[in-house]
Amino acid sequence: MHHSKKHAFEPKIVAFVCTWCTYAGADLAGTSRLQYPANVRVLKFPCTGRIDPVFILRAFQKGADGVLVSGCHPGDCHYMAGNLHARRRFAAFRTLIEFVGVDLDRLEFSWVSAAEGGKWVEVVTELTNRILTMGPLEEFKALEAEECWSGKLDTPELQEAYNNI
Amino acid sequence: MNKSAQKLDVTPLVDESYCAAATQAIRCEATRLLTEGTVAAVIGYQAGRRKGTAMPTIVSSPEKAAELIFSSACVNNLALYLTKAKKEVRGKGRLAIVAKGCDMRALAGLIAESQVKRDELVIIGVACAGVYASGADRAAPLTNATIARKCRECVVHLPEGADLLAGSLPQQPMLTPLESQELARLEALTPAGRWAFWKEHFSRCVRCMACRQVCPFCYCEQCLCDRNRPQALESTPRPAGNMAWHIVRAMHLAGRCAGCAECERVCPMDIPLNLLNRKMAKELKELYGYEAGLQPQEKGPLAEYKDTDDQSFIK
Amino acid sequence: MPKTITEHNLRLLIDSLLKDRFRVVGPRLAGAMALYEPLAKGEELVLDQLPRRSAKEVFFPVCENILSFERTEAGLQVTDVDLSAMSETVLVGVRPCDAAAVPVLDEVFSWDYKDEFFLERRRKTTIIGMACTKSDDACFCSAVGLSPGETKGSDLFLTPLLGGGYGCQVLTDKGQQLLARYPKLFVDTVDARLAPLAGGTGDRLDLKRIKAWLDDNFESPLWNDIAERCAGCGACAFLCPACHCFDINDEGTTELGHRRKHWDACGFGKFTNHASGHNPRDLQNKRYRNRIMHKFKYYDDKFGQTLCTGCGRCIRHCPVGIDIAAILREIESRSQ
Repeated sequence: MHHSKKHAFEPKIVAFVCTWCTYAGADLAGTSRLQYPANVRVLKFPCTGRIDPVFILRAFQKGADGVLVSGCHPGDCHYMAGNLHARRRFAAFRTLIEFVGVDLDRLEFSWVSAAEGGKWVEVVTELTNRILTMGPLEEFKALEAEECWSGKLDTPELQEAYNNI
Repeated sequence: MNKSAQKLDVTPLVDESYCAAATQAIRCEATRLLTEGTVAAVIGYQAGRRKGTAMPTIVSSPEKAAELIFSSACVNNLALYLTKAKKEVRGKGRLAIVAKGCDMRALAGLIAESQVKRDELVIIGVACAGVYASGADRAAPLTNATIARKCRECVVHLPEGADLLAGSLPQQPMLTPLESQELARLEALTPAGRWAFWKEHFSRCVRCMACRQVCPFCYCEQCLCDRNRPQALESTPRPAGNMAWHIVRAMHLAGRCAGCAECERVCPMDIPLNLLNRKMAKELKELYGYEAGLQPQEKGPLAEYKDTDDQSFIK
Repeated sequence: MPKTITEHNLRLLIDSLLKDRFRVVGPRLAGAMALYEPLAKGEELVLDQLPRRSAKEVFFPVCENILSFERTEAGLQVTDVDLSAMSETVLVGVRPCDAAAVPVLDEVFSWDYKDEFFLERRRKTTIIGMACTKSDDACFCSAVGLSPGETKGSDLFLTPLLGGGYGCQVLTDKGQQLLARYPKLFVDTVDARLAPLAGGTGDRLDLKRIKAWLDDNFESPLWNDIAERCAGCGACAFLCPACHCFDINDEGTTELGHRRKHWDACGFGKFTNHASGHNPRDLQNKRYRNRIMHKFKYYDDKFGQTLCTGCGRCIRHCPVGIDIAAILREIESRSQ
């Protein structure tokens, strides 16, 4: 994959992170002046257990090319087991959206602790590079623009199609 | 297709005596329960006006119990009427319910989720040889050609754990597992192929919500898809919102769905919704060894965790 | 002299219309069912199936944008829909029960408020109806005063002929114009013999008597008896050619979005839910009562028409087997 051509676009990557570990980890990366791609938009949650799969779906629908979900390592959850519940939920959700036809390479999960600024940089950089080689996520964008036939207005494209009959 | 295979297609899977026996047993038990005052109402099936149809009925007097029937047209999962979405039915008092094996699994799920108390419910189980597919020709008997897809792979013909078992099971032929085959076919496609498949189906969805309304597990008083402040997913029947709705519904049913396939049966747009549920059931069995069964289980797979759960997908 | 058209020429008519930049909508296969959808060629027209959804969506889409908004540096910009961009449409192969519903809908959409979205589409559409030679046990058009050969709502009406082809009846100026546009496709036939129309579409109901009973029985135990089983979905309303309730939703963000009009159904629990939390139709039987009352009493009170054409879709597809034809018979018998 590393050898394939990169697309010329700025990927939009949404990161859903827990406030206790990964957010602090990302903060550490910043204060340590580590460089990582600016494509990632970080959204802070109390816990990975609070990150509803529908958020991930919504991110894809509203234009994200990749999504990252990141929180505390097992055993480190501020609320004892939020991340362990999340682990099962995301395992299930992955298989579901893969079954619907979403390429799982666009969805990443990681454990990044408050001390792992370096790992945060690594995860974000790798995901960004991967999305760069994959190109923009077109399926959801196209779907978003689609109307049911009866709600469509006459368009130049439609007239063009009629001309070609 | 050769001639003998065609012949096999029209061999009836059940005979009249099978339905008559189940009907008789249900009527007897319902009359007894209502006469003795053990229950306030019996939720069962009655014949519809059109030939070969049946519909749910809620019977409160012993005289009416004679209208109860069981046949291959008794497709509904009556567990729906026990949920808090149906307050008017629950308000009647103690209830008895007619349940096929798949309905029994839904009852077990509702009991596990503390929606129904087992000791407040009389379950009249029926030995079920299968029911009609939606859109099947009801003038024809139940055959290989008219049986519902879910019934071809049924493992709960006998609802064990019911208070009574009505009828007895005729000999069961092996039927081709069409749903598993379709699931395998989809799994073998590329992501783009699967996307195209679901996109076509979901774009026809008109959001009539029949899938939600007949589901025994869709008993939330405030459905996520009806929320508009904030709007979690688009409520308008456009392709984007439809896709999101069906993904969210499958996710909310993962580890809870009893596999009655009512969502798929009632869809007026013929969307094969049970494939999503089947897929999730299959994955959750592989991942956490969980399977919906006839007995209530303390916790569903997504309501608990183990330290040893797979996390190979997490960096 | 009566005009006729062969099936081949009917398909050719569709191709010609497409060439002339009309949008042609007709029954088309979608999986195992048929739906009214835009046809890409005449071959696609399905002639032997009642489409799963009615033809109302040609005028009243499942969902349509009615305006768009965007916050820019200049402030909030609101863009109206350009109604002139709606297509000139020919709706072909429409069943009598679907065509007859269109003039019924005209009443409500052009009443105190003129619904320009509906009316513009209506103005731009020519309807070619087609008689039914096949029915099933859910059909009941004759029971509500129509028939398999009903021409109400059609501009042109086709009746199958013995030995193939269709007899063609011109009913309106629009129909005449369409016929005049493609004169070669229609021929004069002297001895055209019509094929027998579908039978078994229900004995005539006394809708006046039914309405009289409804006038007096807003509160009746019947409502609970028939509707306790209702699951509260919108399948009946959404498949119905005459149901026309809609909701309006703003979707998007405060920066950019659309106002959308889309189908709604009185069977939904949220349909009458007030902002206060109070719901005047708090139980399912009250919602179902509204469905019957609206179709056979309120609409009659207001517009002198019945909001049901007997297509039978709600009977065929009700998840819990509610049968409106049987309910009407029951009400008729109670009104003796």
